[in-house]
Amino acid sequence: MAEIRDIKSGRSNERPREATPRRLAAIVAGDISGYSRLMQLDEEGTHARVKRIERDVIEPSIGEHHGRLVKTTGDGFIAIFDSPVEAVRFGIVIQQNMVGRNASLPKHHWIEFRIGVNLGDVIIEADDVYGDGVNIASRLEGIADPGQIYISSGIYEQVKHKLVCGYEALGDRKVKNITEPVRVYRVLADSAAFHEHRRRRENILIFLLSLTLLAIASGALWYVLLQPYGKLEKQASAPVSPPVEIPNVPSSQAPAAKQAALPLPSSAPVPLNPQAAPQTQAAPSAAPAIKPATPQPQSASSATPAAQPVSAVREPEMTPIRGGSFIMGSNDDVTEKPTHQVTIKPFAIGKYPTTIREWNECVAAKACGFVATGKDDAPVTNVSWSDAKQFVAWLAGATRKAYRLPSEAEWEYAARGGTQTKYWWGDQFEPGIANCKNCTDIAATEQPIKVGSFKPNPFGLYEMGGGVDQWVEDCWHKNYQGAPADGSPWLKGECPSHVIRSGSWKNDARYVRPSSRDSYDTNVRYPTHGFRVALSP
Amino acid sequence: MRIAQLIVLSAALASVSCTAHAQGKPAPKDALLYFVWPQDGATIKGGFWCRFGLRNMGVTHAGDDFQNSGHHHLLVDVNEPLDLNEPIPQDKTHLHFGAGQTEARIDLPPGKHTLQLVLGDAKHYPFNPPVVSDKITIRIK
Repeated sequence: MAEIRDIKSGRSNERPREATPRRLAAIVAGDISGYSRLMQLDEEGTHARVKRIERDVIEPSIGEHHGRLVKTTGDGFIAIFDSPVEAVRFGIVIQQNMVGRNASLPKHHWIEFRIGVNLGDVIIEADDVYGDGVNIASRLEGIADPGQIYISSGIYEQVKHKLVCGYEALGDRKVKNITEPVRVYRVLADSAAFHEHRRRRENILIFLLSLTLLAIASGALWYVLLQPYGKLEKQASAPVSPPVEIPNVPSSQAPAAKQAALPLPSSAPVPLNPQAAPQTQAAPSAAPAIKPATPQPQSASSATPAAQPVSAVREPEMTPIRGGSFIMGSNDDVTEKPTHQVTIKPFAIGKYPTTIREWNECVAAKACGFVATGKDDAPVTNVSWSDAKQFVAWLAGATRKAYRLPSEAEWEYAARGGTQTKYWWGDQFEPGIANCKNCTDIAATEQPIKVGSFKPNPFGLYEMGGGVDQWVEDCWHKNYQGAPADGSPWLKGECPSHVIRSGSWKNDARYVRPSSRDSYDTNVRYPTHGFRVALSP
Repeated sequence: MRIAQLIVLSAALASVSCTAHAQGKPAPKDALLYFVWPQDGATIKGGFWCRFGLRNMGVTHAGDDFQNSGHHHLLVDVNEPLDLNEPIPQDKTHLHFGAGQTEARIDLPPGKHTLQLVLGDAKHYPFNPPVVSDKITIRIK
């Protein structure tokens, strides 16, 4: 011990710069191959796509793998990881993701990353890393083929028995400005297999499919010709694809084309709810490269009547809640433990979940992302947490009032309505009080039924439990270990998912309990997810 | 005679492809969804990282409507059959990975559990034909 201290102090006298922190790290360097070519093709579009990939894929994945993003350049990034295994996994996740994102695009629009991973001793500063290790990582990235991950032998030794994927030794490679050759390995993840398979099989597949399609189409033609003319007219909307076009259909779209080529029976499945209805996709998917992501806009006009232009924003009906203390959580589920006392300050909360009418006012103001379809007084669904945040931000701005999402503690306090029982009406479940699975006799096609259809709780709030899931402000934590006791939202930690409350018409009675909690990815929409607003005094 | 045969054939083909009609997007026939880890029959102590493998399709963010790509769902101890005409349910036994995750930290109580992966399309519907993994059984010590 004494010796070590001597060495250190001796050295530090000679070189005062030793203070800069050095450490061993797995360095991941990635860049987009052919970036300037892509920029030439479509400057703004490429820029937006790259930024989106950085935001949606790279940054969250780095977090998930316990790494740190050191810097991004126009077309690339450098990240460091404590663990080589996590670093390579991160690389695989990125490459697999890109395969999915590129799948629907023509080849010259593909964004493909080249990734190099190296283990090295580096100097870390706030916004950059330095050292041989970094240079080698970026050289590896430079020699990697698009869509590939190249790793150095240092990384390979660490991951070879821990990561179940193939490694191809590429031998010693001389890299620019590094004197010693570097032994390089190529990671064979699934994405590589995907491409190879595709290339090899594409021709055979297309040939076989066009053969079968021709057979089916000619069969269908016979079938149609033999129908009486009256019937034919009825079927006019189901297009009979001309056989000439069929061989051009890319392999993957073939099954859809097959359906479209044949007269469709009237027994097509009944749409489940208004949101899901526009997804029925028998005919349109036959046309190549269709993107039906946004719902049909025709209902926009009916939702925001042009007859009476809204000058002031209609505010949601709010119910004031007096402050107080309560025991939050329960012993019914691991996520609801430990029970703990929370004090709530006075606030107001929406009497009902936010409705489609309210949502579409935000859309009309161009502050919310998509037009919701369905009855005006039904709760809005298929919103992500980020969508809900956009809505409350718009509402707060338009009304100049402190509208926001409720905190999880506020939600539970309001849902309990002053009770400490399992349900707000007691400890025993009773059918017909809440809108949950097998709790009512509402037809599936009617769901989600309009707000205010069920009995209010003691605070006068409707559908606090059942109906639609409701986003709250809090980040998801798997239990209440370390939760705040002052009713504020719990935002600590990484926040890839947020809390949803209430349960929906598709969840059973357990989810109706006011203490029941679940989580969902922050930026993902789901057909049963809605929200209600809160207001600070 | 030949014409009659053709009619019968085409009618048969029509009925076949119509019964297969479902909400979900079409999936390639050789798509393979599997568990990289854990393996069927594994005994695991405490929490674990569950890793999802997918061949011949890509993983993408839910809501992104790209050909031949979807996002993972992990079904824990689910016994009900999969309904192809409904979005994959969302509850504590149907875990969604709509951000394009290919692995997840899973904590299960001790005992026997079944795991199964289901790939969902942009709107959370199963593909057609469904892209599902084998249902594996693991034991948590």
